[in-house]
Amino acid sequence: MSKTVHLKVNGRSHDVSVEPGTRLLYVLRDNLGLHGPKFGCGLSQCGSCTVHLDGEAVRSCILPVEAAEGHAVTTLEGLGTVDRPSPLQQAFIDEQAVQCGYCINGMIMTADALLKKNPHPTRDEIKQALDGNLCRCGTHMRIVRAIERVAKAGVPA
Amino acid sequence: MNTRRRDIIVPSELSDLGASRRAFLKTSGGLVLGFSLLGPAAAMAAMRELPLDTSVTAMKGSGAFAAVDPAKLNAWIAIHPDNTATLFTGKVEQGNGAPNALLQIAADELDFPYEHFYLVMGSTTETVDQGPSYGSMAVRYAGPQIQHAAAAGRQVLLDMASKHFGVPVDKLTAAAGIITVAGAAGKSITYGELVGGKRLDVTIGASGETFGMKVAPNAKLKDPSKYTVIGKSVLRKDIPGKTTGEFTFMQDVKVPGMLHGRVVRPYGIESQLLSVDETGLKDIPGFVRIVREKNFLGVLAETEWGAIQAAQRLGSKLHRKGPDDGLAKWSDWNGLAATDEVWDAVRKAPGKPESVAKHGDVDTALKSAAHTLKATYLTPFETHGSIGPECAIADVSKDKAIVWGGTQMPHQAQRDLAELLGFPVDKVEVRWVEAAGQYGRNGLEHVMADAAIMSRAAGRPVRVQWMRWDSHGWDPKEPAIVQELEGALDAQGNVTAWRHHMWVPTLSDTRLLPSELIGKPVGKQNLGSAAIGYEYTFENAEVSSHNASRVGVITAWMRAPGQFETTFAMEAFIDELAAAAKQDPLEFRLKYLKQPRTIGILKAAAKHYGWQPRVAFSAGKQSARMARGRGIAWVNRDDSLAATIADVEVDQQTGEIRVVRVVVAHDNGLVISPDGMRNQIEGNIIQSMSRTLHEEITFDHAHVTSRDWTGYPILRFHEIPDSIEMVLVNNSPEFMSTGGGEPSTCPTAAVISNAVYDAVGVRLRQRPFRPERVKAALAKA
Repeated sequence: MSKTVHLKVNGRSHDVSVEPGTRLLYVLRDNLGLHGPKFGCGLSQCGSCTVHLDGEAVRSCILPVEAAEGHAVTTLEGLGTVDRPSPLQQAFIDEQAVQCGYCINGMIMTADALLKKNPHPTRDEIKQALDGNLCRCGTHMRIVRAIERVAKAGVPA
Repeated sequence: MNTRRRDIIVPSELSDLGASRRAFLKTSGGLVLGFSLLGPAAAMAAMRELPLDTSVTAMKGSGAFAAVDPAKLNAWIAIHPDNTATLFTGKVEQGNGAPNALLQIAADELDFPYEHFYLVMGSTTETVDQGPSYGSMAVRYAGPQIQHAAAAGRQVLLDMASKHFGVPVDKLTAAAGIITVAGAAGKSITYGELVGGKRLDVTIGASGETFGMKVAPNAKLKDPSKYTVIGKSVLRKDIPGKTTGEFTFMQDVKVPGMLHGRVVRPYGIESQLLSVDETGLKDIPGFVRIVREKNFLGVLAETEWGAIQAAQRLGSKLHRKGPDDGLAKWSDWNGLAATDEVWDAVRKAPGKPESVAKHGDVDTALKSAAHTLKATYLTPFETHGSIGPECAIADVSKDKAIVWGGTQMPHQAQRDLAELLGFPVDKVEVRWVEAAGQYGRNGLEHVMADAAIMSRAAGRPVRVQWMRWDSHGWDPKEPAIVQELEGALDAQGNVTAWRHHMWVPTLSDTRLLPSELIGKPVGKQNLGSAAIGYEYTFENAEVSSHNASRVGVITAWMRAPGQFETTFAMEAFIDELAAAAKQDPLEFRLKYLKQPRTIGILKAAAKHYGWQPRVAFSAGKQSARMARGRGIAWVNRDDSLAATIADVEVDQQTGEIRVVRVVVAHDNGLVISPDGMRNQIEGNIIQSMSRTLHEEITFDHAHVTSRDWTGYPILRFHEIPDSIEMVLVNNSPEFMSTGGGEPSTCPTAAVISNAVYDAVGVRLRQRPFRPERVKAALAKA
């Protein structure tokens, strides 16, 4: 039996009717029409589904939707838009730090959470923070450079 | 002609077919907006912009989804009233930016601003079949086609302006989308005003097909010295939306009324489906039905989560205990070569011989040599491992079908799907939407067939996305390859004999897996091929291949198919000979090369790196735990050359290899976007490092056992080099643009193997170079 779950996503409240236990990823994508978080593995191994829960980077592919109730969910769409990108999104554009771009949601959401805790991470700290995020195209060098741009500029992510 | 920003997920469009689809578009003309109003966000929307009816008039034939006629200008280019333009190409984006380079070529030749020029790619009723987007061939082959079409377009616009102003063409200049009358201040008109919303329904001519097609043969091309966009590092159009979630991937497309589908693959590769207990699925909310056709099994549900749960109950899960684990029961099939047996299976597979080179008398030279060497190189099965598992949507009705997919060959997919469904080709439309990066033929064609089979059964649109284990377990693999090499040196250290024999299973088995499962195979089963460019000038040499059929699982091309492996063996073995001859590995190679461009890239790489001649591992074992070495290798992949030099560190306690610095000299002629090229080279290097150090598909006797990122690890951030440095050689218009998507993958495994030898005196001849394998080799040394 489906039940109503109250979610707060990117500052907006939603009541969604879903089956208990449905993973947050499918609710965000299929019920709320958000495309930032992606299905990559469903196993919490690759990071492409990353969203923020109260500012913490979490893997939405394994998170039951009920666990997000009462917390602020932020997706990639919540950081900025093409017209008004966040400084970190702008840094990814400036560095052209994308090949296919499927993993980029996870890279930006993970780096954004890092930068909010540690605004000036070292290169090693950036690599460590992203070590659980997989990129298959091999865009790693540029992704690190993009995050370093923001880390060095000292602007909020 | 009306113009509007077309979004792929406009629902009422997606639910319609053919003429009614266009009728809908006509009623939606209110979406016409100038770019200046939209700002940067327009880039995203306009990527999918489509002028009304362009495809209709450019069509050949009368079927529902007829092909586009390449002889018409409007098959390639549309100019919109707001002075924006659209380029139509059958080439598709796979993450490498090649279509963006095509747009640069068109912008330059049409004298139209790149910023206001957008791309429509791949869809079979909107674009010309320019051949699949594979083999680093987009810019080389589609580039001249588009360049000629754009040049013809420029001429057409000048002719129109000549009539408009009543002055001869030679009094007109075209620049940045505006035509101006020379010497008449203020007398100018934009392309958009000139065209006035009409289609460019002008015959420009075309002959031949796909890669060999010649378009607008009489078009006069621009003098390369006047290029303003070609050769510039422009910003890629797709990137902003990919950083904000506004970009629509194939995985994001939704169609009204669609069901969510998941596949349930056989337990063993050739297991037969014995029974399915559907009653055990009825309590799953949203469950609709199963689709069973011979050995094809899938589930359909109203929700994605419902489909995932139903598939799991039937047996689709990461850890499956046996052919009975789940409500679907499969026969117990155990005919597969397990991981350690695959190379034997490759050697024994039926096939045909191929000779690549045969000079002198190798056997006699081996017998009389002062010193001989022999080595076997083994490389494993690999998966493309797209981060986004394969996804497609199909809407199959009684006599026609629309299939949304991210395939690298939409026009071939159209033909294959037509065969699968038993429809004429023009009753199938493939609407191409970019998927996650693919690096060759992954499962994107197969999942389109999955969706088509399930939509046909359900009579509703069906979206199928593979689970991670479907992708790792069943995407077409790069095959395992066996190579044996033999060489001889005389007393002075000259090479007197060279023999390289390889066993290569098929690299192009295009059978669609779902078509095999339903017992109606579609696609070709070709043999393997000697994927090698042999260029050394050894007096006595034999290079040959046993081109085999399928070995165990479907194998098809993956980035530099076969040549990543053959370059590994050839360039590591020549290093073995150089070490045995006590010569510097670069100087040793140069003694046996004569092509100026090959010598050029090796020297360019060496110069940038700061190469000092010395014999590899000449200083002997290093006392520090982290031993450091350098390696070199090169390739000619389809006329594009890459030479790579790298420094590596080997942890002598753990066997871990870290690549510290990489220098790549690259000669693919004129580079359209240097930053795009750099992005590709970085990607090639990182991905080929990953393949070299980590990647191997494992098997038991039934199926693939490495079905996730734990079983099939890839490179992580902590392993990336400190720098990847690029030197472009012959980057100028007198050198034809050849491919950049693959060449710099090829040398990497040899470079790392050679650098490890230089560091610790151990030869790694079997990929991957995982720490345990390196440690074992160190212990034996």
